[in-house]
This record gives sequence, structure tokens and C-alpha cells, in this order.
Amino acid sequence: MATPKRYAYHVEAAALELSDRPRRFLEAFAAILRHGSYNLALDTYARMSAKCGRCAASCQLYEATGDPQDIPCHRSELLLRVYRRYFMQSGPLKARIFGGFTLTDEYIDEMADAYYRCTACRRCKATCPLGMDHGLVTHLARWVLAEVGVIPRALVVSVREQLDGKTHNTSAIPLPALKDTCEFLSEELHDIYSVDIEYPFDVEGSEYVFFPAVSDYLMEADTLMGNAAVMHATGASWTIGSHNYDGINYGLFYSDRVMERIVHQLVDEVGRVKGRKVLVGECGHATRSAWHIPTFIGPDGPPVVHCIQYAHQMLELGKLKLKPEKIPESVTYHDPCNIARVGRITEEPREILKAICSDYREMTPNRTKNYCCGGGGGTVSIDEIRAFRTGPLGMRKADQIRDTGAEIVVSPCANCKKQLRELCQDNGMEEVQVMGLHDLLLKVIDFGTDGGNGAGEAQEGDVDEESEPTATGAASSGGVGVTASAQSGAAGGPDGEEG
Amino acid sequence: MSTWLHLARGPLFWTALAFMVLGLVRQLGLTLWETARVYRRAGDKDLPVGRVVRETGSWLVPVRHFGKRWPYSLTTFVFHVGVILVPLLLAGHVELWRAGLGISWPALPNVVSTTLTLLVIAAALALVLERAIARASRALGRFSDYSLPLFIAVPFVSGLLVMHPTWNPFATDPTLLVHVLSADVLLFLVPLTKLSHMILFPLTQLVSEMAWHFPPDAGSRVAETLGKEGEPI
Repeated sequence: MATPKRYAYHVEAAALELSDRPRRFLEAFAAILRHGSYNLALDTYARMSAKCGRCAASCQLYEATGDPQDIPCHRSELLLRVYRRYFMQSGPLKARIFGGFTLTDEYIDEMADAYYRCTACRRCKATCPLGMDHGLVTHLARWVLAEVGVIPRALVVSVREQLDGKTHNTSAIPLPALKDTCEFLSEELHDIYSVDIEYPFDVEGSEYVFFPAVSDYLMEADTLMGNAAVMHATGASWTIGSHNYDGINYGLFYSDRVMERIVHQLVDEVGRVKGRKVLVGECGHATRSAWHIPTFIGPDGPPVVHCIQYAHQMLELGKLKLKPEKIPESVTYHDPCNIARVGRITEEPREILKAICSDYREMTPNRTKNYCCGGGGGTVSIDEIRAFRTGPLGMRKADQIRDTGAEIVVSPCANCKKQLRELCQDNGMEEVQVMGLHDLLLKVIDFGTDGGNGAGEAQEGDVDEESEPTATGAASSGGVGVTASAQSGAAGGPDGEEG
Repeated sequence: MSTWLHLARGPLFWTALAFMVLGLVRQLGLTLWETARVYRRAGDKDLPVGRVVRETGSWLVPVRHFGKRWPYSLTTFVFHVGVILVPLLLAGHVELWRAGLGISWPALPNVVSTTLTLLVIAAALALVLERAIARASRALGRFSDYSLPLFIAVPFVSGLLVMHPTWNPFATDPTLLVHVLSADVLLFLVPLTKLSHMILFPLTQLVSEMAWHFPPDAGSRVAETLGKEGEPI
């Protein structure tokens, strides 16, 4: 749908209807404060914010642009100003005495621009002496903006398909197409590794119900083959639910109201197949959203296991056998903010990579202090801001990757991988391969079969040439992904957007 | 002059002190009450207590956070140490508390107090200067961000002159009046400005964590309030 240009990203026509928007914004803000948990934080921030500017030094966007508008504290102040004026007792009094701030359409536009320049990576939170979480303020501001219709079209169209559409997933992949894709992946696994691995659907009573980012079925075939291979090799009881197979939750990026509905949809599917645990695929925000299951469902919701945690545990228990050969290429690891920022998943992927790679290199800084890939907070799905994402927003990450000199960047996150590929393309690093952790793991799993020379196809990213000609790994990610997508006939995103 | 001094040291001081204490108690009470309310309504009651305590502790003594802007951080740290210790532990102040309320506690040696006071004054000036020089903090700075450090320095400068009459080019009583009056005003300002972080600071990491613990049905309730239930995406 063609709409007049107002923001850096495309929005739907309703977002451009300005009538009475400040009042609607304030009503939405009031409702969110009344029913949500944000009042406490905003009140504290509004009283104490010291404007010291320490956060500026930690923000990769401000480092690149030097524009005061990009200082995290400045961005948070946009919403805090509204809060002080309209929701603190002193607001009306100060306005009467000193005059000043009134919420206008132009001001809402300024917020709409500012809060989608931030990836909500929360790196700056660690450098604020007063503990202000600017990512939280971005998260909240986007929700209020969403209630007046300001949402990037790339996000809302996907969510519409996921919640109100026929396929219930953000990439609009119909079930028959998904099953075709899975069959194709099984055939690939058989052809390359001589091992029969099925993608089980609707197996009642399974321990794990699998929710990858559904876009993996279109884009990340190697990751999905790695996931299935790990589950097969460890004898896991797992299944894919045929009514809902998408772990993506864009609610995290723009609306708790949406996040709540998607989490319920996911848990309902686990209940339908009588599964016991949620197994999340390689997707950062899907994982963080799933960690919110106790928030929306309570303590009786299904436990959440990330596929890397599972693989790591199986390796520790000796249930996942690896070949002695290691990946010969130099490999570095990018921490997805959503799983690493508060330190929940940082060591497991590193331990796996160190076990399977002969040349593992760390990028600096890393773990909880990592830089965002530049596509966080849903911005990676907004193709019209690619130049911004791979320019000022991702420049710091590009430098980090370049400094390692690594040939492969591993990141267990669909969004990070898309952004990192575009980042490498746009910053003269086309030779760098970007892949998931399970893509590499797949190449070194010992299935106990003799097969696995990939019909003699030498592929980049294969195991060490000096090693025995067992696994050549699946075809390169892009190749298999494209073939799998074509095979499945699955459509792209509902509006040409990928999830 | 003595009447003014009496007023500033007596009723004004007690009023300002009471205003500050009650104001901070109110803010602390409201913050704790709201924290409890958020926790009570939260769907996920599993708080990462260890992480919150670690982060709070690490910022109470923030040496490991100094990082790239260490001169600014060091200045801030010195400023805070002096601002907390000198008013509470200056021998003259301790003696006033003993004389007034009959309570006392150990005091700092005068040489230490004097050194700290000089450091506070220097740090206050440096903070303003650094804010004006550093691009980010200059862009963010409000009038109060410049004026508060300077105003905090006033009772320290005047106090230093009162303690060391030989350094004082002015008469003692007016200097003392400036010292007490500026301190009184400062006490008034504490609950009304960002200085309220003196009581809320230990809670900020907890507050930021709590905000992520949403009520389970907040989204649905917002939709209901806005009349958007059942509305298509």
C-alpha cells in the first residue's frame, strides 16, 4: 500500500490520520500506566534523571552519528517530558507557572522517529549510574505510539497474519508448504549424512514443542537441519505443532497487548499437543518473549528451553556425540542482545563453539556488554531503513567483526543473522559467512553412520579438509534455504516482508 | 544580624530539615508501596534478586564503572563522598547535634574535613566545567544541572571560611548566615529536585527490573479501557 512519506519507515494509512492524535496518545498512555507496571519506573526516572550523558558513550548509534538526538537519555526524556507534564502532580502546576510544554502532533512525530532509531538493545542501561533502563522507555513509548497507529508496516502486517490470518505465522507459510519443506530437509539430511531424521508433527505428550522463528523455514534450512539433528541424535521426544509453529513475537517490539496474545497462542498450542516444554529455536527475541510465559500465564506455564541450552546440556551429559574433526575456519560469535544482555545465555554457545571449532575468536566487547547487530528491536524487518541499519546503526558491529578477522560469524538469532549478512554486504565484507550455531554443530555431529560426504560436494564451511571425508555439512545456508523455500512453495512474508 | 542568624539556625533549619526528611520519607514510602503493588500484580514473581543486589552494590561504590570518562566519574565520586561525609561528620556539626539534641557520633579530624571540603568545591566547579565541555552532557544539560552543583558548593565555601577565619575576607556573621541559609535552601530543594536520588538511589536497579514484570492481563485491560477489545490488528 503506497502511503505518503512521513517517517523513515513505511506505516499504514491510519497512522497518518492526525485528528485528535495528542488526546488519543494521552488516553492510551493513561490506560497503560493504569494497568501496566511502568508507573513506578517513569516516576523514579522523572524525579532523578541526572542527565550526566554517560549513556552516550555506550550507544553505538550516538558513537556513529554524534547527534544529540541519539543520546539514550535524550530519547527517554521525550517520553518523560510527557509524563511529567500530564501524569505527575506537579505537571499542571509547573505548566501554569512556567508555561511550556504541550503535546502536539509534531512532538508525536519526533517520538515516532526517535524510538525507531533505537534498537532497545539496553546496552546503555549498564552505564547509567541511576539505573535508568532506556530500552524500557523505548519499549513503552513504542506501545503508546502503536495505540495511535504508529507502527512500522513491516511489523504490523506480520502480526496481523500471525494473530488474525489463516496461517497463524508471521511469514504466512501454510501447513502443507511447511510439511513439504520439512520433508525436503529430511531428504537432505538423508542424502548428506545417511541418517533418517523426521520432523515430527503433533506428537501428543512430547517433552518439547518446537518454536523456531518461522522465517527459518524460508531462510535458515541449515539451522533447522541442525536442530532436528540434535534432537534425533539425543533421542529427544519433540514435536512441531501444526496449528502454531512460529516463535516470533513482534509484540516485544511494539506492544505488550500484542505480546500477551502471541504468548497465549503459543502456550495454547503446547497445551493442544499435550507437550511439556517450549523449545525455542535460534531466535533472540522469540526466546525473550517466551521467557515472559510466566508473566502472562503464571508459574504453571510450560518451562522454556533454548535450543542452545538443550544442545549444551546434551553435550555435557555425553548424549550428543561429536566427530573428532573440528571446523577449520576461523569463527567468531555475536551475542544476540535479547539472550545475552542480562547474562542468561552467554557461556553455553561459547563452550559449544570452542568444542567444535579449531579457531574460535572472541569479539570485544562481548557477552552482556556486546554491541547490538544494528537490527534489534524489530528494525531488521524494516527494509526501507536498511541503509541506516547497516550504516550508522551497525557500523560498530561491522568494525568488531572486521577486527576479529574471522571467516564465519555465528549468531543464534534469525534477526541478527539477517542484519549481519546485510551488514557484511554493505560494508565490504562479502567474504564473511554468517550462520547459526546449529548450522556448524550439524557438521560435526557423530550420527554413527558412514554416510555424509555430501555426494562429494565440497562446501565452504566444511569440516577440516584433513579430516575423514564424512560430513560435508549441508549445502551452504543460502543454497539450501533458497531450495527449501522453492520446494515448499511457501510464500514470503504477508506483504513481502520476511519475518 | 544575630536575629537573622537565630532564625536561620533555628526555625528555618528545623523547617527545612523536616521538609527534607518528610519529603524523602514520602518518596521512599511511595516508591516502596508502588514496588510492592507492581510485585503483587506481576505475573512473573521470580525476581533476579542476586543480579539486582549486585548491580545496586556496584553503583554504590562505582569504581569499576569509571571507564572511558574516568575524569568525570572520579570527579563525581569525590564530590559525592565529600557531600555525604562533611555535613554529617564535621566536628562542629557533631557538636551542634550534641548541644541541640544530646546525641553525638564520632567526628572527622578537622584537617580531613577541610581537605574534603576543598575537594567538594573543586569537584563542583569541575562538574560544571566538564558538563559544559563534554558534548553529550552539554546537549542534555538543563539549567538545574549547572546551577545545583554550584549551589551545593555555596555552603561548603562559606563553611570553609567560617572554619578558617584567617582565610575569610568577610565578616564572620554574614559568612555564617550565608552558610546556614544556603544549607537551609538546599535542604528544601532535596525532595523537589534530582537531589532526591539521595534516598531513591539504592532502589533504582530494583525499580528498573520491576517494570519488566507486567501484570498478566495488562494488555487486555488496556484494550478494554480504550474500547479496542476484539478490534482486528
